[in-house]
Order: sequence, then structure tokens, then C-alpha cells
Amino acid sequence: MQYSRVEKEFFFRLNGEEVRVRAPPGYTLLEVLRHILHLTGTKDGCSSGDCGACTVLLDGRAVHSCLTLISQVEGREVTTVEAVDEKVADAYARHGAVQCGYCTPGFVVATAYLLSKMHNPSDAEIREWLRGNLCRCTGYVKILKAVESLAGDDG
Amino acid sequence: MKQSTTWVGKEVVRRDALEKARGLTKYASDMFLDNMLWVAACRSKYPHAVIKRIDVSRALKSPGVVAVFTHRDVPNNRYGVFVKDRPVLCDDRVRYIGDIVAIVAAESKEEAEQAVEEIVVEYEPLPVVSDPLEAMKPDAFPIHEGGNISRSTRITFGNVEEGFKASKAVVENEYRTAPQIHMFLETEAGFSYIDEKGVITVVAGGQSPYRDHHEIVSTLQLPPEKVRVVIPHVGGAFGGKDDVSVQIYLALVTWKTGRPARFVWDRDESTIAGTKRHASIVRMKTGASADGKLLANDVEIIYDTGAYTALGHAVLDVAIENCNGPYKIPNIDIKAWLVYTNNMVASAFRGFGAPQVMFAMEQQVDQLAYELGMDPIEFRLRNALKRGDVMVFGNKLETSVGISQCLEAAQNHPLWRQKETLKSEKSLPWIRRGVGVAAAIKGFTLGALPDRGSVAVELRRDGGLTVKGSFTEIGQGVVQAVAQLAADLFKIDIEKVEVVFADTGKTPDTSVTSASRQLFLAGNALKKAAENLLNLIREVLTTRYGQKVIEARFENGYVVGPGFSHSFEEVAQMLEEHGLSREVVGVYDVPRVEPIPGSLEIPHLFYMFGATLALVEVNILTGTVTVPKLVSIADVGKVVNPQTLTGQLEGAAAQGLGFALLEEPIIDKGILKTTNLSTYLIPSIKDVNEIEVIPVESFEDEGPFGAKGIGEIGIISVAPAIANAIYHAVRVRPKSAPMTPEKIYWLVKQAGLTVK
Ligand code: FES
Ligand code: FES
Repeated sequence: MQYSRVEKEFFFRLNGEEVRVRAPPGYTLLEVLRHILHLTGTKDGCSSGDCGACTVLLDGRAVHSCLTLISQVEGREVTTVEAVDEKVADAYARHGAVQCGYCTPGFVVATAYLLSKMHNPSDAEIREWLRGNLCRCTGYVKILKAVESLAGDDG
Repeated sequence: MKQSTTWVGKEVVRRDALEKARGLTKYASDMFLDNMLWVAACRSKYPHAVIKRIDVSRALKSPGVVAVFTHRDVPNNRYGVFVKDRPVLCDDRVRYIGDIVAIVAAESKEEAEQAVEEIVVEYEPLPVVSDPLEAMKPDAFPIHEGGNISRSTRITFGNVEEGFKASKAVVENEYRTAPQIHMFLETEAGFSYIDEKGVITVVAGGQSPYRDHHEIVSTLQLPPEKVRVVIPHVGGAFGGKDDVSVQIYLALVTWKTGRPARFVWDRDESTIAGTKRHASIVRMKTGASADGKLLANDVEIIYDTGAYTALGHAVLDVAIENCNGPYKIPNIDIKAWLVYTNNMVASAFRGFGAPQVMFAMEQQVDQLAYELGMDPIEFRLRNALKRGDVMVFGNKLETSVGISQCLEAAQNHPLWRQKETLKSEKSLPWIRRGVGVAAAIKGFTLGALPDRGSVAVELRRDGGLTVKGSFTEIGQGVVQAVAQLAADLFKIDIEKVEVVFADTGKTPDTSVTSASRQLFLAGNALKKAAENLLNLIREVLTTRYGQKVIEARFENGYVVGPGFSHSFEEVAQMLEEHGLSREVVGVYDVPRVEPIPGSLEIPHLFYMFGATLALVEVNILTGTVTVPKLVSIADVGKVVNPQTLTGQLEGAAAQGLGFALLEEPIIDKGILKTTNLSTYLIPSIKDVNEIEVIPVESFEDEGPFGAKGIGEIGIISVAPAIANAIYHAVRVRPKSAPMTPEKIYWLVKQAGLTVK
């Protein structure tokens, strides 16, 4: 079978702005973000839903953008790490939770989602909510500290 | 000599952290250039086969395809650091499933992948040699001309038979460890283009820009000045990017097509084709006297290098050097083999051959202590190396040796002191608790191999400094550490120090980022650069003042001496006025030692030491082992940045935990079945519990401000500490890592343990 590049137009809101983009309908949101829009804060660690590096908010809910087809995003609101409250990223940086940093944007988005749902999560709750995000560098100790530092913070 | 410092030793937030966390840092995989071609690889269908024919004609006609390359396009189709046994694009044979036969460059990813399917390769399958013990047999099917032993050696000191005769206790065991996969979050990735000066520029995740550069120009036979290698921030490496991956292919595509190209491996390509930690078989017979002195160690080491040698020769040396632990042993006999198989290629992985042998030796030592009725730490302390000691290889240790302090820190730790209470404390009837200890040693720098590092320091017109070196930022924080060292050496505010790294077009050769050497080498080269700059300034001032300026020093952003004080800005201007370069170079050569016969790089002049304590809970019904607490103790010399240090040790501990308990690749006759992160499990935030880090600062005189290396030591003693803790809990010795529930379940069952 010969591959032919059929493209369709999609429309959604990205970080508060309306975007129209032409993409093959089989593309994932991650592919659209990275390969077409070149918005690369959202990382690709596996393309199979196993690592969490590609986490974005879809209508405020954390999803793996590598498992989300662009057609599912039509008309909806996507928030990527670039538009997440900077204090989350800042907490990761200050607590030394960033080494190679390739996993970090995914953690930052997942953390923002957790804090939007739970004001003061316990250690066990943080672990449960971040279990889908893998980090190979830090051993998670400082990631936990970073998230704990944000808990109960109203600022 | 100890110097007072402002920045070294201070907890400073890394300068690259916030940008990374906000998603603003550009990694090699984040770049998409105009007019860029996408590269895809046609990989072997068999673990071992003869290539009868390669037909790319259909692929060339496939839509969007610009070029297809095979071995015919590679002028010098063999590469490798120790042995040139690896083809860029396979010609006569494929030797493992990661081997690349052809590459396609097309207008889009999909078109490139589609065209790969159109490439016809006719194979004639050959016998697959997957078991290193089979591969070693004289009648085994040879994977390379010259057979399946890539390297073998034997190193003996003293007489082990005499040693065993004098021993009260002798233990003999065989240990195995599985090949560990690096699983950095960013896979092997890069892009390439021709710059305005016509230079082929390859920007790719790596660890050694000059080595990658060498592999490109030697295989493609390009003039060195026509190729530039840049390594931006790398999304994890751990040794897995020490060898070239995408670099040669990218250079080839851009060279032949003149167009920018992008080559990024999928996760499954990365797990199949990327290098691994060597699978090991280690046999040890170890003897100790009644008063607890180690007397003899008879060792056989077999490391599976897979299809190619890669850095295996050096890895084997590290295994040999470390297999006796941080101990004095008068009699040793070590036989070691690096064996080709049709498995995935093994090469560098944090610890570089040490974790496998220490998994063995530290259980041997533990068992001896139990057999002699001695406390395991007391036993280790009795044998621990001290400064001034003659090591097993006849070399005298004249640098800092912190193993006793590490072991004492372990001994005084509450976890150790309360281990019997913890063990007997009531808990669920099927849970057994135990505490284990293990020690570690690892040479840093390249040992008896020549090891040189250079950095350049530019005094900028604005009075700031730009430090340039080819060290790579793979997540370990070297850029931050270099900035801190420079700020203290030049006595300048850290905000004024810029660091430019890993670019063969801009930075001098600081050589490879491996063997925990970068901080040490770059730091010492910086020291030289600071001296050189001062000398230069003295000369300029001498000319200027018309009298000899003998004394000058850096102070608070100024150069001061008797009767003068000039800001860095003024000095920069003066240098220009005198027609001098504002850039100085510092070169540091690690003092040379002679390699012992039979080795390449043994011994080292410098060693790091460490110890790990582990608390485990063994579920005797399921065989599951959990680790509520790990204590990582490390002698790393002076700590440059506590946050970076603890981060390195915590990360190493978690990787060690994965190696110990979880990470088990399934390989069926050379074919990897666990090619993604749902089948090959690395520790998640739920698997890692408390990790406590205790740095032991043993000052190293030769190190910059007393610093040693930090990258690797933390991983080495984790698996044996967990194994020893399992023994303490259930009195069985798990001799095969990872210590999966299945293995532990059967061991516990054989031992007849039952629920209380
Ligand atoms: S890239 Fe989506 S989960 Fe890994
Ligand atoms: S910081 Fe490297 S993977 Fe998390």
C-alpha cells in the first residue's frame, strides 16, 4: 500500500489562543504540538503512554498527548507546560528536582493538575497522582519535596 | 591545601533548571529546521544472518524519498573505540537486531518509514549465539572473524592456593546479572545541517563531542575541519550515549544531500539498538582467616558484549579492578572474558562494569562475615583499604581513601544499630524484614590511559568570564559545577561566569564525559587557566609600568597587587591594547601510571568510595521485595554543590534499585521482547521510598578544591546491599539480579520458610 499524506484541518484552543492546523487525521496531539507547531516544551519519551513526558491539560484534565488523537481535540482547550503557572516549574528548579530535565515538563503539568484537584495532597496521594510520570535521573526524592512545597500554597 | 571558597560547597540552584522545567530548553530532539529531511533506519530482521542482496530501487521511488544509503555510501565502513568491528551500515552480515542495513531520507517521517518497508534485503540466517557460555566454546559459531572472544585476560598477584590453605572460611558462588537498559527519557536524537561556512554540523545527544567527531570523519573520510559536533542539553545519558548512535548517519545524509536532516530513535529502537549494561556471569571463591582477614580471591568474570565490542575492553578492566572490593587482599587470581553474542550491544552504563562484580564480591564478603561469626561492617572495616596501603595490584594508594569513614558512617547509622530490632519487630505474618550493607569502590579518570582535559577562559569586554569546554551536560549538573569552580578560582561573582559547552567548533577538548572525570578534569584545567591568565596579566602590567610585577592575584572581580588594582573590564581592555588575546587555555594532564601487565588502564591513581545500607521487606508468599529505606554514603571528596551531589546520589540509588529488583529484559534467542517502558519496568515514584544521602568529604589534594568524582559511585553498592538485606531477612542468598519476585519466591520456598 502506498502511503499518501491526507491532511485535514483541525481547530482548537492552545494556551488561550485559537489555532487552526492542517494535520494527517491519524496524528496525535503530541505530534501536532511538536512536529507541526514546533511547540516543544511537551516532550516525547515513549509515544506509548508509559512515561508521562507528554502530559498536557485537555480542558483542564491531565492527559497523555501521545495517546490523544488530534481529532479528539477538535474544539477543545489544550494547555501545555509553556502556559502552566510558573510557580510549579520554579518549585521544581529550587528543590533541585531537575537534572536532565526531559521528564520535568510532564511532571510540572501533572503537578499543576494534581494541585488543581487537591489543595493539600499527602505523600501517598502525590505518589499516586504522579505514578504515570517516569524520571530516570532524580530518584524522585526532590520531586516529592518540590510538590510538597507547593501543597497548601494559596499564592 | 584547603582554600576558602564562596561558591564551592554552596547549595546553589542550577542555572539550567528553571528553563528546563518550563519547557523552554531546546534538546536535540526539539529542533525542526526548514527544508529538513527525516531519516529512518532499515534494521536487521534477524539476530544473525548473511546479507545476500540489498535492493533499494523500490524505496527510491517511494513518495517523498530523497535518498537511500547503504554500506556502499560509507567510505570506511568500520568503527569502534577499541576494536573497529562495527559497520556503519551492514555489508556482509548482520549480527544483532539493532544493526542498520540502510537508511532512508525523506520529506516526512511517514514517508521515510514507508520507504523502509520497500527496501528488499535477502538474508541467509545463521545460527544465533545468545548464551555467552556457549559462545565461548571453541566449536561455537563465530560471530566475528577470529572467534567470539573480544578480549580475555588473566591477572594474578600472590598465590591464591596458599591463601585458601591459610583460610578458616572459604565461600564459592556463581552470580549473574541481567543487561540493564539505560532508559534515559530522551532517546538517541539529533539533527544536522551545513552551516554558512560549509561545515557539516551535527547536533546530537552524546557524551563526547570530539570522539563523535572522530567517528564521523574517520568513517566518512571527511576533512576534520569540515565537520562540527555540538552536544546541547541531553535528556539523560548514564553512559548510554558514550558511543555514537545517530551521528554518523546524520552527517552522511547532510553530506550527500546538502540538506538538513533529523534522526530521532523511537523508544523501541532505542531499547533494541542502543547500548546496554553488560550481562554478567561472575564466579568467585573467596577465603578469609579466623580473625577476619581476606586472604584470597579467585575470580572468573564473563561479560556479554553482544554483537560488538564498543567500550567493552575498558569496561572489562574496571570489572577486574573492582572485583576485589575496597579491600586489601594478598592473593588474587582473576580471569576475565569479554564475549561476543548476537545479543544487544553492551557498553558504558553508570558504574562501567563495577556494579556486576560488586554484586558478587559484596555478597561473598557478607557470607564470610556470617560464617566467621563477625559483624559484617566490622569484617569489612578490618580489610578496608587505607591511604598508603598497597592495593591488590601492587600499586600504592597515595590519594584520598574514604572507605573506612563510609563504613563507620554506616555502622553508626540507626538503621544498622537497630537492625535486629527492626528484624524482629512485629508486622504482617508474611513479611520478613532485614538490613544489609555493601561497600563500593570505583576508580575515576581514565586510569593508566592518557587522560587530558583542556578548557579555555575568555575574559569578556564587559568584565565577565566565559568558560569553554567540551564537557557535556547530560543532566549531572557539570555546567553549574564549572561555573561555581570558576567563580571561586577567578574570585568573581557567579552571575558573571558564562559557560559554553560541548561544541567542537567553539570549545577545546576536555575529552569524554564519563568515568566521573569531568568535574575533576575541567576543574583542574580551570585552575591552570587561572594561573595562565594571571601570568599574562603580570606580563602586561610589567610592560605597562616599566617594572617587573611579581605579585598579582584575583580579588572580588579585580586583579590586585602591590600598589595596583584593576577591574576585569580594565584588564580586558589592556590585553586588547597590547594586541593580546583575551582568551587563555588551561590544560590538565592526569598524572600517568603504568598499566599492570594484562590490563589497559589498571590501576587508577584516584578512587571514589561508598557504602549503601538497605532496609528490605520480603513478602514470603509472593517473593516481592520492597525497600522502605536506602542510605547512600559516598566519599566524593569536597562537595561542590550539595544539591547536585544529593541529586546524583539519589538518582544513582534509584537506578541501583531498578537494577537490583525490577529491570529484567526478556531476550529470546537474540530478540529483545521488552522494548518499551510497560514491559521493561524502571522505578516509578511508587517504587522509590526514602533515600538518605550522607556525603563523606575526604579531601583530595589533587582535586579542584579537594573534589573527586560523583557520577557513578552511588549505584555500585545498591544491589548487593539489597541482596544482603534479603539474606538478613530470610537467610537465602539471591545470586541473580534482578531479584524478581519469582526468583525470591522459589528461594524462599526451597528454604522452607512459612508464615508465622
Ligand atoms: S510520550 Fe506520552 S507517555 Fe511517554
Ligand atoms: S530529570 Fe532526567 S528524566 Fe527526570
